[in-house]
Amino acid sequence: MTRDDPYDAIVVGSGITGGWAAKELCEKGLKTLVLERGRHVEHAKDYVTEWLQPWQLPHRGRGEQELYERDYPIQSKNYAFGETTRHFFVSDREHPYLTPDDQPFRWIRGYQLGGRSLIWGRLCWRWSDLDFEANLKDGHGVDWPIRYKDLAPWYAHVERFVGVSGERLGLAHLPDGEFLPPWQLNCAEQVVKRGIERAFPGRHMTITRVANLTQALEGRGPCRARNQCARGCSYGGYFSSLSATLPAAQRTGKLTIVTDAIVHSVMYDERHDRASGVRVIDRNTKATREYAGRLIFLCASTLGTAQVLLNSKTPRFPTGLANSSGELGHNLMDHISKAGAGGTVPALEDKYVYGRRPTGTYIPRFRNLGRSREAKLGFVRGYGIQGGAGRDGWSRGAEMPGLGADLKRQLREPGPWRISLQGYGECLPRHENYVDLDQEQMDQWGIPLLRVHCAWSENERAIREDVKTQSAEMLEAAGCKDVETYDHDGPPGFSVHEMGTARMGRDPKTSVLNAYNQTHDVPNLFVTDGACMVSSSCVNPSLTYMALTARAVDYAVGELKRRNL
Amino acid sequence: MTSSSDIDRREALRRAALVLGGVLSAPLAAGVLAGCEARGAPDGTWRPRALTPDQAELVATIAEQILPATDTPGARAVGVHRFIDALLAESYSAEQRERFVAGLSDLGRTYQTSTPDQQRALLERLDRVDGEAAPFFRTLKELTLVGYYTSEIGATRELHHVPVPGRFDGCVPLAQIGRTWAV
Repeated sequence: MTRDDPYDAIVVGSGITGGWAAKELCEKGLKTLVLERGRHVEHAKDYVTEWLQPWQLPHRGRGEQELYERDYPIQSKNYAFGETTRHFFVSDREHPYLTPDDQPFRWIRGYQLGGRSLIWGRLCWRWSDLDFEANLKDGHGVDWPIRYKDLAPWYAHVERFVGVSGERLGLAHLPDGEFLPPWQLNCAEQVVKRGIERAFPGRHMTITRVANLTQALEGRGPCRARNQCARGCSYGGYFSSLSATLPAAQRTGKLTIVTDAIVHSVMYDERHDRASGVRVIDRNTKATREYAGRLIFLCASTLGTAQVLLNSKTPRFPTGLANSSGELGHNLMDHISKAGAGGTVPALEDKYVYGRRPTGTYIPRFRNLGRSREAKLGFVRGYGIQGGAGRDGWSRGAEMPGLGADLKRQLREPGPWRISLQGYGECLPRHENYVDLDQEQMDQWGIPLLRVHCAWSENERAIREDVKTQSAEMLEAAGCKDVETYDHDGPPGFSVHEMGTARMGRDPKTSVLNAYNQTHDVPNLFVTDGACMVSSSCVNPSLTYMALTARAVDYAVGELKRRNL
Repeated sequence: MTSSSDIDRREALRRAALVLGGVLSAPLAAGVLAGCEARGAPDGTWRPRALTPDQAELVATIAEQILPATDTPGARAVGVHRFIDALLAESYSAEQRERFVAGLSDLGRTYQTSTPDQQRALLERLDRVDGEAAPFFRTLKELTLVGYYTSEIGATRELHHVPVPGRFDGCVPLAQIGRTWAV
């Protein structure tokens, strides 16, 4: 066991929030240690598949099915997983967790420096008071201790550094931010957009707001429109901890990064009522060591952070550190997705696209906006719809009759324009969706296995149905042909938007964190990853995690200077 | 294809090739590329691993019927049979492999005792029936398409490929691109 001099701050995790915590802490002058459980990954140099062309992939992108079934049965279900990205996902075999037989949960993970920020979907939306007031208004979960005005300046702060491209819409429920120029809609999407907006006044179709740089920013980018982000991008065309926040933290000279360091637990000093540091297990040697720190930021992901806290048992906190409320591990949420509709966009045979846009379209939420003459629906909250159009390529040949020179000639030209819409729906916070630790089974580092208990409720199922019906109606109204709905009903976790296991709140009796992501119980312990979320909204959550992280650091460093921590 | 997009394409390929050279020499890429190198051997020394030489020849023959040489090389020339053999050897489970080989043997029995006209008619009939009635042929056709259009010739000569587009234009005349994008 070794002890270094205490760090001013320890950040657990190097993903999207760990990177932000590191940057903000270092830039405020704190000597900061970032602990990452996975291997070191160096920007550009370690993006080993980045330049491989299709014919250079051993299995031409089809991968190794037998290996996937054995080692990656869960990870391989993620859309970004494949022959070129497998090394940025964990082996399910090496990193087990438990679920009840009839209640699967797909936990998608990337254990490496940069975490899942290397493989994320990159959509960046501000939440609004429709989201922050939702729990209070309909009684699900507890009230958020903050409102949009508290977070707005921090959204601007992170957007300016991330580089979010997007279109300003002037919608109260999807606030505009500080945007780089938007990516273009393609010809078919423009047609569908006009059709939907004409048939359904008040609904909009726009391009996503996305962390792919349409202009160079801070020495990064611009994005080169390859649409292969999850391989890693040495142009820095998209935002990740490796391209952006960790280098910024490094430039201060205040940052120390230690990889292969699995945090076992947070140490608690009962006498001073403070977290004193963290206990770490070396991934390779399995040796234990400790790091002391004055501030602890947990950014280990929603489930990872819950696991660390649940495993940090002390006489005062027998069920896990900072769990006087009993809510630690509870109120787990994800978004519903993988349901919607698709169709063919007629005509435009003489049009095509140049380049591979790394994102798609978005129809902002239009349900339950609190307007006076709104339809009464069988669910609360709402959903947004992601999508995109493109012309069929050569792969359509497998589904159509034809052989020989004639088939080859047909496939030399692109096929019809197709459009697909997919809803992302809000999930309610429910106490009975929770994680805890198994009493007997441990991983190879001696950490009790996480057990995940999570299921959709009636409200999420009702949202799914409305997503399908509305997606189909909008496509038909826009003149699309062969419109069909689809529903690849997936278990929770599938959307990789898990959140809620250490929620914020006004009351220490019903929440783990206060309005500044500080644990109610332990003043120098902060949680700023998805665990802190009180509700799930229907929009992708990462930008909100980033804004909350920057805001929490600002508060924590202020408190430290005021000698309150 | 206009001359300007042609220049973009050549420039993109050149730049990618420059960086590619550096990256490929890195030891980390070696594992990823091991499979490619094994299949880079000259024709005379290639040996199938999952299929027998006769079965590989049959795959090459039928693949060539599906995507023949025209003004660009066909499936045999780009080594579709090698790709299929590698997939069977490295990716498929024993059960999937056996199912493929059984399907190939079934088709081969009829195919190899037929005249060229009958062979053509047989494949056309299998191609027209519903995929469930001819599951093996459907699989073979799909793998032939994958092997061909992801090959260097398939992607860059038969279709159009730009490794680093550099920008996105959402609505351009098809004539400006000329062909289906490979990716």
